[in-house]
Amino acid sequence: MPRAIPGVMVECDASIKAIIVKIDSERHDYILEDLDETTVLIKESKLADLKEALERELQDTQTFPEDEDSD
Amino acid sequence: MDRVDATEHFAQHAQGDLPSLLVLIIDINPIPWTTNPLSTALPFNTALSNLLLFLNAHLAFSHTNKVAVIAAAAPRGGGAKILYPAAELPTDTKGRPQSRPPQPAPQPGEPNKYRPFKDLEEGVLAGLGKVLASVNEEDDGTDRTVVSETRIAGALTLALAYINRLAGAGADNLGQTLTKGTGTTEAGTMQSRILVVSVAGDVASEYVPVMNCVFAAQKKHIPIDVCKVAGNSVFLQQAADATGGVYMKLDAPNGFLQYLMMAYLPDPAARQHLVLPTQANVDFRAACFCHKKVVDVGYVCSICLSIFCTVPPDNICMTCQTKLAHTVGGMVVRKKKKKKAGTATGSGAGTPTVGTPRP
Amino acid sequence: MSGSLQSFEQLEALPPATFKKLYQEPCTTLALFRRMLPNLAKSIVMAMLYQDDPVPMSFINAWVKPTSRREKEMALGKLRRLCITSEKNQKLTLDATFKASFREALTGGSRSFGTPCTTEDKHPVTVEYLDNYATAQWEAILHYMVGTESERKPSEGVMRLLVAGGLMEKRSRRAEITQAGFSFLLQDANTQVWTLLLQYLSMAASLRMDHVEILHFFMLLGSLDLGQAYSKAGLTPTQLNMLEDLRDYGIVYQRKSSSDRYYPTRLATTLTSESAALRTVQQGFDAAMSQSGQGFIVVETNYRLYAYTSSPLQISLLAFFARLSQRYPNLVTGKISRQSIRQAIRMGITASQIIDYLTVNAHPQLRKNTPVLPPTVVDQIRLWQIEGERMKATPGSLIRDFSTERDYRETLNYAEELGVLLWRNDQKRWFFVSRHEQIADFIAQRARAQAAKAQGRA
Repeated sequence: MPRAIPGVMVECDASIKAIIVKIDSERHDYILEDLDETTVLIKESKLADLKEALERELQDTQTFPEDEDSD
Repeated sequence: MDRVDATEHFAQHAQGDLPSLLVLIIDINPIPWTTNPLSTALPFNTALSNLLLFLNAHLAFSHTNKVAVIAAAAPRGGGAKILYPAAELPTDTKGRPQSRPPQPAPQPGEPNKYRPFKDLEEGVLAGLGKVLASVNEEDDGTDRTVVSETRIAGALTLALAYINRLAGAGADNLGQTLTKGTGTTEAGTMQSRILVVSVAGDVASEYVPVMNCVFAAQKKHIPIDVCKVAGNSVFLQQAADATGGVYMKLDAPNGFLQYLMMAYLPDPAARQHLVLPTQANVDFRAACFCHKKVVDVGYVCSICLSIFCTVPPDNICMTCQTKLAHTVGGMVVRKKKKKKAGTATGSGAGTPTVGTPRP
Repeated sequence: MSGSLQSFEQLEALPPATFKKLYQEPCTTLALFRRMLPNLAKSIVMAMLYQDDPVPMSFINAWVKPTSRREKEMALGKLRRLCITSEKNQKLTLDATFKASFREALTGGSRSFGTPCTTEDKHPVTVEYLDNYATAQWEAILHYMVGTESERKPSEGVMRLLVAGGLMEKRSRRAEITQAGFSFLLQDANTQVWTLLLQYLSMAASLRMDHVEILHFFMLLGSLDLGQAYSKAGLTPTQLNMLEDLRDYGIVYQRKSSSDRYYPTRLATTLTSESAALRTVQQGFDAAMSQSGQGFIVVETNYRLYAYTSSPLQISLLAFFARLSQRYPNLVTGKISRQSIRQAIRMGITASQIIDYLTVNAHPQLRKNTPVLPPTVVDQIRLWQIEGERMKATPGSLIRDFSTERDYRETLNYAEELGVLLWRNDQKRWFFVSRHEQIADFIAQRARAQAAKAQGRA
């Protein structure tokens, strides 16, 4: 019998997906199913947490040229 | 990342919302209006009220639409006059236009009208009254034959100048040029067009001024629509054809209002989507510059392209003063021979050629 | 421009009976004609206005160029939704009430356009006074929303309206602006006025005021003359109530609530005009007077911003998304940076709103370029917004574990037809849908049908 699994489908770049997988590997708490290279099924309740975790990871890895105050 | 690309974002502005200026040139030559069959099919009063309704409809399209009305009169009726808008509103010390001068208080319970419509109608009727009064003074009614034609060039010039003034005002600030297909004026964002309601024929002596107006309109992408209620005109046909306007000769003048509403009301932006009457055969005859006769075949100066019906005296072109050489036998049908230097050549079999005097 | 059309789309949802009542008044008919119809639709209406017989559809189809079918369908659809035309037997008829009212609007003869006062006002009011009054009232509302201090606080009614419309929300003691409120602030004046008025309209039901009369009054205001006093006679009780509220918004002016005349301000008279020329209220007035709007913002390709304004309101608005560094008596300079845009995004403003705001208020010098703003800056603002949106999340359900290929295909096709299919993987026989209830029903149905067939055979 076919089953229906409720969740949130997240589409992103492959690189972002790799980061999500990495976040998930610590506790296996977020990902329900890995759909394909750019899509992943996330637990609905964990979506907000995941977004925050992603932001944190990205901030660490990305650096931007600082804005200068001089004209 | 295509969806982020901003370069095309501004290419197509909302075209439907542009303000539109309609300049109506009305031929008030009394002879055609008062003679049968026109006076029974479409009396002047009816035509005038239809026109006013049509102008109201144009204003109804949008708050920013504007209208101007010009009267083109008979040769002895004085020049063309702008009937509406009449004159500038007085300005206060800071240069801002004052609110309208106090109107006579309307009686309570009197039906009222949308103010712009009311202003338009009162303005046009007042202006028309003044013009007709002055015509009556001048014309003593003796020489009727002369008066049955209308000078259209003055009115066209006045219309073009008015359009230039109004559209040119926005040129400094809003110099967005839109695609040519919409028939906009190049300066400013005001779309303009001219509608000529004509009842009489052409004055051949006006060929040159009329064609100058037509070319100016062409340059500025101002369509000239022509509604021929009566009479025949060669020049107006060419005007409509050259500027992309609508030309119609009314077979049923009592349907005047419906003709106006359907064919002449849509502005250039809407016309892109509509199939409008076009002319199948345009009469492309021109008038010669020397005698102002309408000619089929004639001579053309190769420098300035002015048209003559006969060889000009001393072989000097009257417009550009070039001394031309003219070989005898302008109508030459030559077989394919080597061209000798300095001779006029003819083109293929059968078609009469226009001899081109060469310098 | 599109913004104001959108706010009008709410009106399209009104029932046909309401439209019938609306079309009884020529001025409302005229106003709705002007603002709610696309250009082609207007031409079609005009062509049919003085025809007494229904027009065959074949005629309309022949009249419109084949290449413009999309515009034609859009126009006809709009006309149908607004109950202006009806179609029967392949013929198009113009609604009789609409036709009569519109003809009357064109020829005059009704008393629908406001009754001017016949007596002289003991305290005459100039256009300048009206402009100042309207500006002060309106800016008080905007200042209140932004949170800048100003001497005038808007009235209780206005504050209730803002909260009810979702533009502000009550938090602790005072109200705070919401995301919708931000986008409201960045719109042009005409759209803002209409947003508030439509909010008023939707609240009217709870105040037991008649929809139709309110709309009539709005349209009536749009057709009045600036500087002319109009008498209260002829207004219905609902409309008289509205006068009080409209005074608070700065749309009409009355010396006292008991005076028997009212003056429309420029906010009123431009209600039914196109919004393109009216940016902020102040510039709207300048625009109306000098016939050429005055934008004041210059954006350079090096992301620097120069705004020729000294209005605290404008400066606060700019501070939302740009970092302002210097302030002169008539000029404010600053820079648009990644941080400033990200901060705006966090507050809930979108890149499109920022770009629209900059375009609408662009300095005349800038307007000579096409496109108006440097594309590098525009693209970069959008990119900065996207930076924050690394992933796209869609809630729904994953459907898996199909026994046969056929089951999978049929259910998949059903999902596709419903339009809920979002992702599929044919190898694994999985797919993702946004709503699964109907899919579940479909599967159950098929299972029952199969069971019945199996039983029938057995």
